[in-house]
Parts: sequence; C-alpha cells; structure tokens
Amino acid sequence: MHGYEIANSIQRISDDVLQVEEGSLYPALQRMLIKGWVTAKWGTTAGNRRARYYQLTAAGRKQLAVEMSQFERVIGAITRVIEAV
Amino acid sequence: MNWLREVARRLRMLVHRRQFDADLEEEMQLHLELRQQEHLESGMTADSARAAARRRFGNVTAFREKSHMAWGWEWFENLVQDVRYGLRMLRKNPGFTSVAVLTLALGVGANTAIFSVINAVLLSPLPYKNPQQLVVMRGNDSPPNVRDIQRQARAFSEGGGINVQKMDYTGGTEPVQVRTGLVDAGFLETLGVQPMLGRLISPVEDMKGGPRLAVASYSFFQNFLGSDPHAVGKAIPLGGNTYTVIGVMPASFTPPVEHADVFVSMWAGDPGAAAERDLHFMHTYWRLQMGVGLAQAQAEMAAIDRRLAEQYPAEEKERKMQLVPLQEWLVGDVRPALLVLFGAVGLVLLIACANFASLLMAREVARHQELVIRAALGAGRGRLIRKTLTESALLSVLGGAAGLLLAQWGTRMLLALKPEKLARLSGIHMDTRVLLFVLVVSGLTGVVFGMAPACAAARGDVAEALNERGRSTTASATGDRLRNILVTSELALALVLLVGAGLLMKGFSRLRSRNPGFNPANVMTMYLQLPPTRYGEISKQTQFRRELLARLNSLPGLQAAMVTDIPLGGNYVDHGFVIDGHPPVAVGGEPEVQTLSVMGDYFRVMQIPLRVGRDFTPLDREGQPLVAIVNEEMVREFFPHENPIGARIHWARETEPLQWMTVIGVVGDVKHSGLDQPVDPAVYTPFAQSNEIWRSFMTLAIRTRDVSSGLVEEVKKQVWGLDSRIPVSDVHTMEELMAVSLAQQRFNMLLLGLFAALALVLAAVGIYGMMAYHVGQRMHEIGIRIALGAQRRDVLRLVLGDGAKLACFGIAIGIAGAIALTRLMTSLLFEVKPTDPETFAVVTILLANVALVACYVPARRAMRVDPIVALRYD
Repeated sequence: MHGYEIANSIQRISDDVLQVEEGSLYPALQRMLIKGWVTAKWGTTAGNRRARYYQLTAAGRKQLAVEMSQFERVIGAITRVIEAV
Repeated sequence: MNWLREVARRLRMLVHRRQFDADLEEEMQLHLELRQQEHLESGMTADSARAAARRRFGNVTAFREKSHMAWGWEWFENLVQDVRYGLRMLRKNPGFTSVAVLTLALGVGANTAIFSVINAVLLSPLPYKNPQQLVVMRGNDSPPNVRDIQRQARAFSEGGGINVQKMDYTGGTEPVQVRTGLVDAGFLETLGVQPMLGRLISPVEDMKGGPRLAVASYSFFQNFLGSDPHAVGKAIPLGGNTYTVIGVMPASFTPPVEHADVFVSMWAGDPGAAAERDLHFMHTYWRLQMGVGLAQAQAEMAAIDRRLAEQYPAEEKERKMQLVPLQEWLVGDVRPALLVLFGAVGLVLLIACANFASLLMAREVARHQELVIRAALGAGRGRLIRKTLTESALLSVLGGAAGLLLAQWGTRMLLALKPEKLARLSGIHMDTRVLLFVLVVSGLTGVVFGMAPACAAARGDVAEALNERGRSTTASATGDRLRNILVTSELALALVLLVGAGLLMKGFSRLRSRNPGFNPANVMTMYLQLPPTRYGEISKQTQFRRELLARLNSLPGLQAAMVTDIPLGGNYVDHGFVIDGHPPVAVGGEPEVQTLSVMGDYFRVMQIPLRVGRDFTPLDREGQPLVAIVNEEMVREFFPHENPIGARIHWARETEPLQWMTVIGVVGDVKHSGLDQPVDPAVYTPFAQSNEIWRSFMTLAIRTRDVSSGLVEEVKKQVWGLDSRIPVSDVHTMEELMAVSLAQQRFNMLLLGLFAALALVLAAVGIYGMMAYHVGQRMHEIGIRIALGAQRRDVLRLVLGDGAKLACFGIAIGIAGAIALTRLMTSLLFEVKPTDPETFAVVTILLANVALVACYVPARRAMRVDPIVALRYD
C-alpha cells in the first residue's frame, strides 16, 4: 500500500473513529523504515502514477506482535480497572 | 547486527538525502492530489477540494521536516552548513583570516617543536629492557671492586661497567682511532639489548687470559665490516692485537652515555687495568632486582662500601658510591633548561591565544548587527553560539595545521642547534603523542578562546540592539573590559619572556667574554695515541714526541707543542699529591690536582701567561732534576702564605725513593673543564720526565697564521713519516672547542630569545589591533571632538593616553610576574641575578617603545579624521 491507501484503510477499518492529520503518517513511516519494520518500493498506481509502496517485513511483523501483546495487556488492565469501579 | 543494519540505512539516507527529499515530496504530493480528486468526485469545487485536502493532511512543511529529521542527521547538516558558511566568511576576510591563523600557527608551532624535544628527552622511555630498573653509579669504580659488588649485592639482578678508550684500527686504508668500549660481560647484558648478529661476551670468557673477542656497533659494522652479514668470526686488528668479531649490535643501540664503536672484554683490552683495585675508571650500570627500591639498593651499596674500605684501607678508604636512576642521570642537567623553554613557549601560546580571542571578539562586535538580525529571524541562541564556535574551530584547525608545518621546520632547526647534551636525540620526530598534543592544544584554543566572543555575541536584547540601528557604539562595556584585560596580559606575558631572554643573553655575553686563560685564536689541536704494544717504554714515547715536535717546528709559519689533555677537550686526570714540609695527610686522603704533561713551548703556543719563575726548557728532561709548574689556583689553595717557587711535591702513594719535583714557575689559570666551570688547581710537568707508561697519548697544539686543512694533512704526513700506523684524530680548532663548551648556553639563549621576539611581535600586533579597533569605534566621537575644535594634538593625546594606560598596566603586572618567575631559571643563568635591574630596565623600555609605536599608527589615523566624513559615518 502507498501512503494514501494506508491513510484511507486506517480510516475505513476504524469506521472513521481514528481521524488524525494524514501527514503525520509520513514521519511515522520514516521511523519504521529506519527500524527496518517496513520496506518501501516504488511502483505504479491504478491511475498510472508513480507511488511508494510500503510492505511489512518479518522484523516488522515480530515488532507488531510485541506491540500488540503490550497493547492488549494495557487495554486489559484499563478494562479491568474500569469494570472494577 | 540489527543496529549495524540500522546505521547502514541511516547512512544510505544521508548519502542520497536530496533524492530522499524529492521522493518524500512526490509521495506527499500524490497523497494530496488523490485526496483532492476524491473531494472533486464528491462534488466540491476545485478550490475547496484542494483546501479540504490540505486541511486533512496538516502542515506539509512541518511533516516534511519531521520526516527528514526522523533520520537523525540534523546536527550533521547544521554542521555542514556552519562549516560552509564559516569558510565563506574566512575567504571573504583574508586579512583577518591570515592574521588569526598566523597568530595561532606561531603559538602552536613553537609549542609543538619544544614538545617534540621534551617528548623525546623526558617522556620517551630509554631504549633498553625495562629501563626504569636501571641505575647508574655516580663516580667510577675499579674492575675488581665492580666484580666484588656483582658477587655480593642482592639488590641487583645484573650489573656491569664500561670505559671507552681509543684504540687504533689498522684494518682500513689509513690507520684510524676507534672508540673501544672496554666492558665486562655484565655491561651489555644489563642493558638488555639483543645483538643483531651473533652473540655477546659471556662471563666465562671475561676473565684473565680470556680470548680477544669483539662485539661491533652497527656503525662499525657498516663502516669497517662492509655490512657483511657473515661478519661474525672475522678477525680485526685493534690496538695492536687481533680480535674476533662475535656479535653485531642493532642500529638502534647505543650505550646511555658512552659512545663506543666496538666493545671488547676489559681483560682482553687492558689486562693491567682490569686487575688494579685503585684504578677507578669504569662507569657502571646496574639493574635493580624486581621489587627492590632505590633506597634499599643504596643501603646495601653503603654496606658493601664499608666492607671494601675495611678490606682495602689503602685504596678504598673513602668509598661513598651513590646510585642514580638512569633516566635522571641522562636528562638531569637538560631538564631545567627544557622545562624553562617549555614554560616560555607556553607563555607564547597564551599570548597567541589572547590575540586570537581579541581578534575574534573585535570581529564579533563588528558583526553584531548580523547576529541580531539572525536572532530576530528566529535563530536560537544555541545555534548562534554553535555557528560562531564553528568558525573559531575552523580557524584553530587551520592554525594548528599551519603550526604543525612550522613545528616540523622548527624541530629541524632545534636539531641543528642542539648542544652535545642532547646528542641522544637524533630520534626527535613527530609521533602520535606530539600530534595529539597539537590537536588538543589547537582544539582547546579554538573552543575556549572562541567561547567568550561567541557567548558575548549571542547575549543581548534583540529589540534593543535593532533599535540602535547599527550604530557602532554597540560595543558593550564588558566586551571592552575583556579586550583590555587580554591586551594587558599579552603585554605582561611578553615582558616576562623578554626579561627571561634578556637575562640569558646577559649571562651568555658574560660567559663569552670570560677569559679562558689562553688565546684560542689560530690554534689547531689533534689527538695522538701511541700503541702500548710498540711503545711500552717511556724512552720510546719520549723519543717519538721529541722527534715529532722537531719535525713539526721545522715547518714554516707554525709553532707546535703538546699536552696530555687540551683545555675544553673534555678530559683530565687527577692525582693526589703531597707537599714537602706541610703537615702530613692520612694515606688515601691526599688533596687532588689536575695533572698535565707538556712538551715544547706549550705555554707560549697557548699564550698562557707565566706569572712567576721560569718556563720549562729543553734541558728539563730525563735524567735531570724533576720540575713542575703550577697554576695560580694551586698557589691560592695550597701556598697561600708562602713562595711556591722552590717548594717540593711528590705524587701520593709513591714507593721509596720518593720522586720529589721542584716547583719552578707559576702560570695563569686555564678554564680546563668549561668556561662556566671553576678552575681546578693544576700541576704541569715535562713529558720527558714522566714515568707513567699508560699516559701514552698526547694532544698537539699548533699555532699558525691561518688554520687551514692543508695544515692537518701536513701534520699527518709528519706523524706517519715517523710511524705509519698511528692514527691522527679529534682534529679541532681551539675556537671550535670554545663553541662546543658554550653550546648549551647558546641553545638556551637563542631559543628563549626567539620566543621572546615572537612574544614581542604578537603583543605588538595585539595592542595595535586593539587600538585600531578602538579608534574605529570612536570615529564618530572623534569627528565630533574635531568639529568642536579639538586640535590634532588633543586627539593624539586621547588615543595614545588610552594605549599608554594599557601598556603601563601590562608592564607593571609583567614586572611583578617576571620577578616571581625568573627565579625558576636561576640554574640556567651565569653570573646574573634573576632580578638583574639593568635587564629589567632595558626590557621595560623596549616593550614600552614597541607599545607606543603600535599605538601611534592608529592614533595617526584618528588625527587625520575628517569631521564631515566622521559625522556621516554610520
């Protein structure tokens, strides 16, 4: 997916709940490129325009799993705290 | 491994960062356009579609910067920018740049050159195995004593001694003298350097009747053995005997003090001396046992001394051998000179730094407006400081590099000037330590002395500064005060250096004008030694001497004589003696005098004045009553209240019948050991009446109308006409020997003089720059004064008054500093007090005049100010 598609898919999947400034996607992508979690390759869009396509790497997937479990732990904790009230 | 890949990615981005920026731009542009397209399709107008897309995207520029900065190269890009900017500024101000770089280069260069010497002399370890364990015995000892110490001492793991004697080497085209180190087996072993070829002399070979073995130095190997890799086993003719080469030392090896071309066993080279307990002529080196300190070794030495004294009361009564660490022994007397020079050169660096800083500050003030505008446009204070610092760092790097070049040239000059004491230092070179030194010195200079102006520049209220609209009175009071302090301290430091140099110069001229006791002009000297194998009897030696002098004196235009040891030649022999009729002295406790044998009209040739009595005549020869001539010091010390003429003396420890000598004359004192050394009492005797066969050497002294090399060839011809196998060596004019004996003082004086001159120039530039800047700042004010009727004279007084105030202040502080500091160089001064008022006065006047001239140039400019122009100035 290229940047625009990523922004769109975030929006679509989250049912428009997550609406941030779309530009902030790009610094985030740079940080993931540095870490090697994603790779970027130039390709052509359906409309025949040049676009940079990002793809998750194995390291990225691993990191995702780590982040997910971390996130779930936090969410779980928050949920438990809220339910206990 | 992960972080490595990450670094690689970051580096790739850095290299392709233009491409990176373009890609990012394209990517964001596509995003915006696609979003805009979407809005258009949902029925918006083109304008509102673009606006909505932008709104949703956010601040494009900010995200671009954030994406760029995510890669972490911001600092680097800033640096590149600062450096590029700095270089452009430096290129645009060639005058400022060259003065600043040159100032630093002089300071750094002089420091580096001196540091290279210090590095080689004081800091580098000696080229021996574990050199910190090596100690030296102060004073010489005899071979039997050395053997006893080797056997008894527990404090030493090894030890050995050496005595260098000249021996004839007759294996070449013409007979030459080589310096032969007579050693025991322990000597080379103790220094712990392995031979390059073959082996060393072993203890079993180093004994009475042992084989004649030789270990060659590398230079002997090159010069006389043709660098033959199969030289081991070769037979060489040395001192009338044949020796077998068993080893060759590496090129890097030289004994700590002694210069020897070849090493032979003491028992083989001089078996007579090797057995004599009372011939103290071996210089010994000892290696401390692991874990043994100097004090412990010294205590054991004292015990051995006592034992030896009990065992051999006649020879060893007053034994007191003192151990000195080798390093200290070697550099002990050059250390103070080097440290004073290092201190001096440090002051030069300080002056250079002060100059550098005040240059920078003056420029920052001139550029204040630019900085203020930058600050107003949003440049952070830190960034401004960094920019200014980058510039001063650039200058200091340039200055350091130029200084390194200067240092290279300077070290070469130092080596050319080096006195004999620094002879060990052929190895002075720039090593990593020296380079590190330069790096640190110039880097610190740039940062520390660039920091003050940088901070001063970044300080201040933007709005207020802008309001002043570039009026050149922006110079802050603190900045002015700081610059005044810098110039004042430059002058003070320069004064200290000038006083130091002045004191040395005065001492040197005193030393040089000192009467050596003889006339060195037009005297040529040469050294001869008769091989004991063929001249084993006094009569043969005397016959050779008499015949040689007869032949030489028959040549036109010269007068020749001979003496055992020539003044300033570095050698002399002391003998104990007894005076007839004086209270008896205990055996072993007799007073010692320098003893010299002469033949020919020695006193006439050297122009040593005869004070009382008569000179030797050819009739004072063998078989006639023994006679002696003494010097004035001898009379002062031993015949203070009596007429020395007719007094009788004999050498100590003589067996009956005593050989009484009658004093027939008194001659003037001669500075035998050096112009700065005290005169020892001396006794001259005729060579023909000598009974010491071992003193088979002599130094010819030949006075001629012109000292040319033709003379040397003529003398060699005459010598070889008598005996073709006698080498003629140590050919010097007496004036050369004088120069050598002055070399250390000359070296000190020249260097300190050079540094002082450097300091003077730098300080002059400093005060000039300061005053010129000052006048520039006050152009407006001066214009008003002139417009209001001030006379040129008044303006001149105004400007000069400012300069004079600084100069007086600097000089006063400098005098105080000099009084405090010159005490440290007392040991370098010859007959001059470190607070010599004359030197202080002359130096103060000199510096005041230089400061006055440096102020006068800008003052003249101020005088010529045209009020109309000055008022329009801004």
